[in-house]
Amino acid sequence: MNWIIKQIHKETWSPYAAGILLGIVGILAVVLSNTLLGASGAFENIAGLIGKAIAPQAFDNTYFKFVMPPGITWGVILLVGVFFGGMIGAATSGTLKWGKKDAVNSDFQWKSIFGPQTWKRWVLGFVGAIILEYAAGIAGGCTSGLAISGGMLLVPAAFLFIAGMFASGIVTALVIYRDRY
Amino acid sequence: MNYVIALFLGGFFGFSLNKAGLTKYNKIVNQFRFTDMAVLKFMMTALVVAMIGLYSLRGLGLVKFPAVPNTYIVGNLVGGLIFGIGMALTGY
Repeated sequence: MNWIIKQIHKETWSPYAAGILLGIVGILAVVLSNTLLGASGAFENIAGLIGKAIAPQAFDNTYFKFVMPPGITWGVILLVGVFFGGMIGAATSGTLKWGKKDAVNSDFQWKSIFGPQTWKRWVLGFVGAIILEYAAGIAGGCTSGLAISGGMLLVPAAFLFIAGMFASGIVTALVIYRDRY
Repeated sequence: MNYVIALFLGGFFGFSLNKAGLTKYNKIVNQFRFTDMAVLKFMMTALVVAMIGLYSLRGLGLVKFPAVPNTYIVGNLVGGLIFGIGMALTGY
């Protein structure tokens, strides 16, 4: 019992241990509610819900009608759980920085590359997230929804996606880091 | 009831991501620099565990697979290529 408590308070687990936990969660999602885990789709569900309320004409297309119907879906609730789960994880390891100075940008490596300004991190996060969500829309899923959930059902799409993700991720990291790569 | 399951599973999902350190920018970007292999180790372990579990359960006739993500080669590849840029930029 003490061992378990000690493990929970540890900041970083072996990625293998955490991976086993996620694998079990993935199995349970299929067994208990016949769905696949996913994150990016939920944002589109919410976006569709907001868009329908503000500009119903613009959102009256096939994509939001059939591919990503707006509404509070299973995925949206899952995302709420992910948020709190991540928070609990940080709280148990004592790294939860609620409202503290530098809480938004406490990553040493990030600062050494882009500079210490917090607003830069907000801007880059926002721009990057637009790219991510747009790409997830094209590919039909993100790291969790397509690469992991698709991969565990041996869907070819997942492996194509992982290949593309790594190819451009490596190039982007190379461009950002240059000689520090 | 389904929503309770979603909340519960989401909690463990977020918890495992956090404990693997994947909520940090440096872990994600260092994967692309190949100085820290945590992302791949985490993803592949999850894949293997879930594959074994799901395919054995299906073999026993206990579960039916939900609708799988569609495969359309160009879309998946192009999506992946754009996704990688965003991933290396934000550390998502």
